[in-house]
Formats: sequence, structure tokens, C-alpha cells
Amino acid sequence: MPIIDVHRLEKTFPIKKHRTGAMGSIASLIRGDNGGEFTAVNNVSFKIERGEMVGYIGPNGAGKSTTIKMLTGILVPTSGEATIAGLVPWEKRKQLAQKIGVVFGQRTQLWWDLALIESLELLRHLYRVPEERFRENLATATDLLGLGEFLHTPVRQLSLGQRMRGDLAAALLHDPEILYLDEPTIGLDIVAKEAIREFLITLNRDRQTTVLLTTHDLDDIERLCPRIIVIDHGEVMYDGQLASLKSRWGGRRQLIIDYAGDPDAAIASMGNGDMAVTEVDGPRVTIAFDRDEISAPDVLTRASAFGEIRDMSIQEPEIEDVIRRMYDGSIPAGM
Amino acid sequence: MDKPITLREELGIAWKIAGIRLRGQMAYRTSFWLQIFGNFFTNFAEVLALFAMFYQFDTLGGWTLGEVALLHGISMIAFSLGDLLTVGMDSVAPQIRSGDFDRVLTRPLGSWMNAATSEFSLRHLGQALQGVLVLGFALTQVEIAWSIDKALLVPVMFISGIALFMALFTIEAIFSFWTVNGVEAINAFTYGGSDLAQFPMHIFGRSLRFIFFWIVPVGFITYYPALYLLEKPDPLGMPDWFVLLGPVITTIFCAVVSWGWNQGIRHYRSTGS
Ligand SMILES: Nc1ncnc2c1ncn2[C@@H]1O[C@H](COP(=O)(O)OP(=O)(O)O)[C@@H](O)[C@H]1O
Ligand SMILES: [Mg+2]
Repeated sequence: MPIIDVHRLEKTFPIKKHRTGAMGSIASLIRGDNGGEFTAVNNVSFKIERGEMVGYIGPNGAGKSTTIKMLTGILVPTSGEATIAGLVPWEKRKQLAQKIGVVFGQRTQLWWDLALIESLELLRHLYRVPEERFRENLATATDLLGLGEFLHTPVRQLSLGQRMRGDLAAALLHDPEILYLDEPTIGLDIVAKEAIREFLITLNRDRQTTVLLTTHDLDDIERLCPRIIVIDHGEVMYDGQLASLKSRWGGRRQLIIDYAGDPDAAIASMGNGDMAVTEVDGPRVTIAFDRDEISAPDVLTRASAFGEIRDMSIQEPEIEDVIRRMYDGSIPAGM
Repeated sequence: MDKPITLREELGIAWKIAGIRLRGQMAYRTSFWLQIFGNFFTNFAEVLALFAMFYQFDTLGGWTLGEVALLHGISMIAFSLGDLLTVGMDSVAPQIRSGDFDRVLTRPLGSWMNAATSEFSLRHLGQALQGVLVLGFALTQVEIAWSIDKALLVPVMFISGIALFMALFTIEAIFSFWTVNGVEAINAFTYGGSDLAQFPMHIFGRSLRFIFFWIVPVGFITYYPALYLLEKPDPLGMPDWFVLLGPVITTIFCAVVSWGWNQGIRHYRSTGS
């Protein structure tokens, strides 16, 4: 049985008409905000098995956070169903909270006015974590996330990266089965990002924690998520392996060739549909080719007619490109 | 831990959280005491007004200074402790506006309990202390022929009073699930109610009495218990057993407020980032 099972989930928000003043509030109380409706999440379905690490990606405003909020029980959906670890989130919110960890990149779960360690202590009581388990988890988190240097610093004085690490530790104190991460690396420097990625990989490997991660950062996806769900305008556009997304639709790889000298100028018009020279820069030539149409050695053989080849390298398609092309509509949506 | 959390466990957790937060605040000891004293003195004017009034008149609607002080004491204690236990409700409206309320809903605690404990402050002890002093003064002035039923009435009276004010403070927060402004109007009932409850209800006009007995039932938490303790006849002509209506009406009131809170939670929209 999938640990996350989402079926035709939909969420609409009323579009606010701005009324002001006390009369305005009373009017909106009585009549509701009748400015029409906006569909933030539309007919979203997916299943995630225990132990999977899935990237939930899409441009700003796609409906990622809204989905996560329904799967934690923060928001009640307009229609549709979801079962998370056997529970309907918005009906069994309290019980579910014990089984999930939530990290919102832009919002801390910690108490601003308390030292990090005190916040963690508080959460220990909130989640009824046995003392011994708490110590173990704290030790692991301190070790892997390097919390030691700022455990006793008030949360409001932590840097974004430190706070994020604190939040991660906090979300995992009670050994959740599922971890939701909404933009966990937003605004972080490379080092902090990397620390968090390493940590998540370890967590997923050692504890089989199921991870659902939204992000803008496609490096996060490349490093962490074998499977991605792409969403845009509230609808699922792709659900499957990252690798097959790349190979099926990101088809165009690039071959970069360094000639010993400047190649024959005719190279610019080499190829016909199966490959194309995209750039000639002195002795360096970039050729894009479709791997379903032609193999790299064949491209190389044909390129060798234009000069002596000294070196070459192949670039896999960038996930950015693939997804950008998907949004542009140049890739058919769906599986 | 698959069992749903019990109310007892929730209370235990709330207690521990309060303890940890208190420890945090005690780090700033001076500011801590200043807050309590500040709160003590802000409410001092009320007490002065009471004494000033009786400097002019001997009785108020047939009640002596000591008797009215009894009402004051009960109302102040119930109000301030109700306020103390729901300090977090004040931050519900801003949390809803900013979307920070999200985190209240990701915790394994009832949303009300969690919201109520999201802030913690003992400053209201200042007013509670003042209530205790006023009550102490009242007890030196009035004769109460203590009996078992009267002794039993006292805790019932305080518990329903505190619960009623907790519910009133919750109402303001409930409204903020639907509207961002204009909720201050609700305050008029909470603060106005606690003020009215400090006086014998029969001195007020029919419509005020109606509101503060049957809509915001503060009249039942001070007036009838006081009549009963003092064995005074009710100028409003209600039967003796009206003293028992306090807890009953408070229970109904709390049930309605709790229903409203749950509707609010279901209506919560969070914010787009
Ligand atoms: N509480 C809300 N009220 C009104 N509109 C909202 C609310 N939350 C999100 N939205 C809108 O729904 C859309 C999806 O938002 P969101 O789920 O936050 O997107 P993402 O996380 O993918 O950037 C956006 O257009 C956003 O403005
Ligand atoms: Mg978002």
C-alpha cells in the first residue's frame, strides 16, 4: 500500500475583493468574498511508496505548497481524497502530525525567543519523544548537521543556513515516517545546501524515511530525487523517473569537439534534423544531437571529415532545459 | 505512537511547555517583574474608582462596599486567569495573517491548545493578585455564613468564570479566520462584560442585563454566586437555583465557541508564498 495516496485532489481559493473598514468586514463575513474562485491545485493524483524520495517541482505559483499543506492537514481540500500513512490528513490531523515531519523553507518551526536546544526540548514534549530516543536523535543531528556550535544560540540570531539545519533536526526528533520539505534550500549558500542534501540522503538510506520535496533548485533534484512529479498551473504534467524524463524528452545531448586547428567552415551546415551545430568558437564546436536518431560515435565520425579532432566530451541534457521546454509546451505533457 | 493523544496528555504537555517558556522569561528577571507590576497598576484605577464611589454613597443598589468588592474580586480573578490561560489567542490573528498559523496545525496537539500555548506570559498575574487583594478586603467586610454548599460553590464559580473568559478571548481569535479587521468589536463584550460583572447586575437596564445574562453570560459567574454566598434576595426576582445556571450556561457557551473554533480551523486558508 502506498504511504502517500492522493486522488483527484483539488483546492480553490476565493479571489478576494477588497472591502475595507468594519462594514466591509461584516459584509464579507455575511456574504463571503464573492470575487470568484481561483484553482490552485487541480485534479492532482499520485502515489508514493514507503522509502521513496520524490521531487515535487514546478514554477512559482504552480501549487506545490498548497498540495503539501493539504497533505499535512493544514488546508482542507475543496474536493478529492488523500491517505497519508493510512490517515486522511484533514480529518486526523493530530494523529498524522505524530507520523510526519514538516519543514517550510520560508517559515521556521522553532521559537524565535528560545535557544535552539530549548526549542528542541519543547518539541520533545510536544511529540512525546522518550528521553533516550531524543538524546540519540539529537546526537545524530548534531553530528550530521553540525548543530553543536549554535545549540545554545537564540533562534532569532541564527543565520538562515543554521536555522534551516535546526528546523531539519526539529522535524525529525520524533522519527517521522514521512518528511515533507517545502523549498528547504531556498536562500542557502552552496555549503549549507550540500550539508542538507547529504543529510537527507543519509536519512532516506538509513531509516527509509519517505521524502516529498518541493524545490526550485534543480540541483537538489539531481542529487536527491530519482522520481519527480512536475506540476504547473495546479496540474500534474509529468510523473516518473528523472532519468526517463531526460532521455525521453530531454533527448538532445551535446557533443563538444575540440579540433587541432580551426575546422572547415562548412561544418556550420553539417547535419539534417538528426543533429545540428549550435556553436562554432574557433577550434571548439558544439553539436546537438538526438540520441534516438544518431549515436555519438556516428556524430564523431561525420565531424572528423572537417578537421583533426583532438578532444571531445558529451553533455547530458540539463534538467533545467528539459523542464523549461516542458513548460514552453514543446514537450507533450503526461507520461 | 498511534494512539490519539488524550486530553490529559495535552494538558501535561501544555504544562511542561509553560514551564520551559517561563524559564526562558526568568532569564530577564527584571523585565519579568516589571510586566507583572505594570499589569497590577494598569488595573489599579478600577479599584480606586470603586472606593471613590463608596466615598460618596453608602450603598449601590442596596449593596455595600464589601459586597461590591466581592463581585470585583471574583470578576478580576476570573478575567485575569482566563486571560493568562489564553495569552496565545492574541497572536492568532497576526499568525493567520502571516500564515504562521500553519505551524500550529502541524503539531500533534489540539489546535486550540496549541494556539493558546503559542505564547506565554505571566503578566496577568498582576491583575489576578489585585483581584485576590480586593477579594480579601471584601471578606473582611462581609459576613458569610459558610456551609458545605457555599464552599462547593466557590470553586465552581471560579472555574466557570475562568472558562467563560477563556471562551470569550477565543471568540476574537475565531473571527480572525474570516476577516482581517473589525474584530475589536468583540472586545467590547469581553472587557465590557468583565466590567459589568463587577457590579450588581440589577442596577443595569433591561437590555444590558439581557445581553450579559443570556448572550455573554458573565452575570451568572459573579452576580448569582454572590447573592447566594451573601444570602441576599434577588431584586430581579429569580429563584435560588439560578445560582446553578452559571456552570450550565458556561458549558453551553464553551461548546458553541469550540464548535466555532473548529469551523474556523476548517476555513483556514493559509497564505500564498
Ligand atoms: N491562502 C491563499 N489564498 C489565496 N491564494 C493562494 C493561497 N495560497 C496560495 N494561493 C495561490 O495559489 C497558487 C499556488 O500557490 P502555491 O501552492 O503557494 O505555489 P508554489 O508553492 O508552487 O509556488 C498561487 O497562485 C498562489 O497565489
Ligand atoms: Mg511554495
